[in-house]
Amino acid sequence: MLETINLTKRYEDGELALDGLTFKVEPGEIFCLFGANGAGKTTTINLFLNFIPPTSGTALIEGIDVAKDPLKAKRHVSFVSENVTLYGNFSAIQNLDYFSKLAGKRNLTKKDYAAVLERVGLQKEAFDKRVKNFSKGMRQKLGIAIAVVKDAANVLLDEPTSGLDPQSGREFLEILVQMRDTGKSVFMSTHDIFRAKLIADRIGFMRKGRLVMMKTAKELAHEDLTDLYIQYMEEQPAQPAALSA
Amino acid sequence: MLRDIIKKEILDNITSPKFVFTFLLCTILILLSVYTGVTNYRAEKKEYTAALALNKKNMESQPNYASLAGIGIKVSKPPQVLGTMVTGIEEAVGRVAPVNIAADPNLIDSKYSSNPVFAVFGSLDLMFIVKIVLSLFAILFTYDAIVGEKEKGTLKLALSNDVPRDRLIMGKAIGGYISLLLPLLVPLVLGLLILLITPDILLSGQDWGRLLLIFLMFFLYLSVFFSLGLFVSARTSRSSTSFLVLLFIWVVFVMVIPKVAVIAAGQIRPIPSVHEITAKKDAFLQQIQSEGQKGVIEWRNKNAADAQKDVKAYQEKFRQFIQDYQQELTSKIDESNAAFERDYQQKKRAQQSLAVNLSRISPASALTFGSMTLARTGVDDFDRFLASVRAYKPIYTKWINSKLGQSINFQTGETVQLKIDDMPQHIYEPQWLSRSLARTIPDFALLAVMIIVFFVGAYVSFLRYDVR
Repeated sequence: MLETINLTKRYEDGELALDGLTFKVEPGEIFCLFGANGAGKTTTINLFLNFIPPTSGTALIEGIDVAKDPLKAKRHVSFVSENVTLYGNFSAIQNLDYFSKLAGKRNLTKKDYAAVLERVGLQKEAFDKRVKNFSKGMRQKLGIAIAVVKDAANVLLDEPTSGLDPQSGREFLEILVQMRDTGKSVFMSTHDIFRAKLIADRIGFMRKGRLVMMKTAKELAHEDLTDLYIQYMEEQPAQPAALSA
Repeated sequence: MLRDIIKKEILDNITSPKFVFTFLLCTILILLSVYTGVTNYRAEKKEYTAALALNKKNMESQPNYASLAGIGIKVSKPPQVLGTMVTGIEEAVGRVAPVNIAADPNLIDSKYSSNPVFAVFGSLDLMFIVKIVLSLFAILFTYDAIVGEKEKGTLKLALSNDVPRDRLIMGKAIGGYISLLLPLLVPLVLGLLILLITPDILLSGQDWGRLLLIFLMFFLYLSVFFSLGLFVSARTSRSSTSFLVLLFIWVVFVMVIPKVAVIAAGQIRPIPSVHEITAKKDAFLQQIQSEGQKGVIEWRNKNAADAQKDVKAYQEKFRQFIQDYQQELTSKIDESNAAFERDYQQKKRAQQSLAVNLSRISPASALTFGSMTLARTGVDDFDRFLASVRAYKPIYTKWINSKLGQSINFQTGETVQLKIDDMPQHIYEPQWLSRSLARTIPDFALLAVMIIVFFVGAYVSFLRYDVR
């Protein structure tokens, strides 16, 4: 389970990137977070991964305070970032092997890696090819494979679908659904409202570091997400919503 | 986990084009330098043997001692076998020191003076390759070690796992260093094989010890630039910035500091020029020569009456006078030259010491001085050689003066046949390894301190590094 309690981040230059963020992502749930650039989505992920310390508040992974025990907390989370180029001189299998070892998975065989790569939709011919020749979609699939291999209870995704072609995007969503179905808590920051609507159990909108709206898939069923997106992104000033996890 | 990181780092480096390029260039340059060094050493050894034989033949062919005293002898410096790796100043400074009763010995006949083109391009020895080329490669291997991973996004991905940062930087440092040493070690081993199979090259136990210490110094020098690269890479957020900063530091370390240090030392502690010293010595020599002529005339005038009484006794007395007087005058010349030289050498040493100490801020200077001392091709070794020739000069002068006195037979007018078998020989004891090592300890220490400072800097910076 992923959880933030009054999570606040103010940078050294005084900019308030997160302002009392509180939410929960339950096991078996996909939570998509929308927001314009600079709204605080990536900052939230960075705080979950302890890349930056919080100014106040807490980020919890499986109930473990990330700031207090980051290494222990990170054992329970996988991460897929927006623009990961990976090691260009390595093949897909070599990249997967290295990151799976970093994740503590030491007994996996080449066969296991091939199975995961196949599952994320990478063509067999690409398994042993150098990643520097991969397209963005192929690299993203490899990034997902790295997260799949780690098999952590929680998954953080930072705008993972940007730049993906329709086919790759669809395959990608299928994997996220599979992850949810195996009981993982999936947190995805994205601009991709159409793909998010297809799989999200809950959607949140962020503006200037604050979560200004949160709705369940059911509540969104009869709403035009585009209108909602524009409405919440442009509305002035930000109105904090009454939030419930 | 550390092993995985090291393995990944090595694999990532050796599969990169920069490794292939580095490996090829290192192999070509190192083998070329060893081949050139070996060829030069063999030629120098031949020249040295020929010079010794020629000098002896030349001396023996002189008609008498007066003629021998006129030409003097030439003392040649033996070539150093480790000059094959570190040429040092061997080509810039003369290898021959003429010794005669008048002038103070100095080194002449350098390779550069006989062919100035060599001075334009300098020598391509192993030390040059390590100092210039491999230090640049060390930068090439490390400028993006941290910041490059940040740009690729792999740093975030790695640290999203329970990987301690200290382990990651250690793994990167160890793996990166091994990758850098690989292109150096393979051609070095091949170079050593060339040394071993070349028939004229004989390395003693001490030479092997020196060679190992020189290699250790090379590795330490490269480690300085390697840890500096890691440090700058962990302090910047763009690999292009990191590369530019490192290039700037490299230019300052390798090109600017050594030259500025010499200029600064010259300004802070000026010394008279060699021409000034030579002019002073020549002036004193002329003074002594005119004193000598006066002395002989005075002696003759004073003892003119004796010549009338007993010619034989007079001639014997005159010979004894000439022998003693010649010895007295040459001793005066030697003492005066030694005094000038002492004063000059003292000032020169002070200036040299200041220049060396100032330039040691740069690892390139520590490498240059240290490796030259170990290879016995540096300033120290030539100073020692010249000092040994200067110490030999009075011994030779005494011998030739005694021979000159005895060589004239006033009765017959004949000269005594020249024999050089009993001529005292110049002895040059090469510096012991322990002494050389003691002299290079500051250089080793400076390189070690720089490595520690830069690595600790890199380590601490990485622990606080913003991976976003």
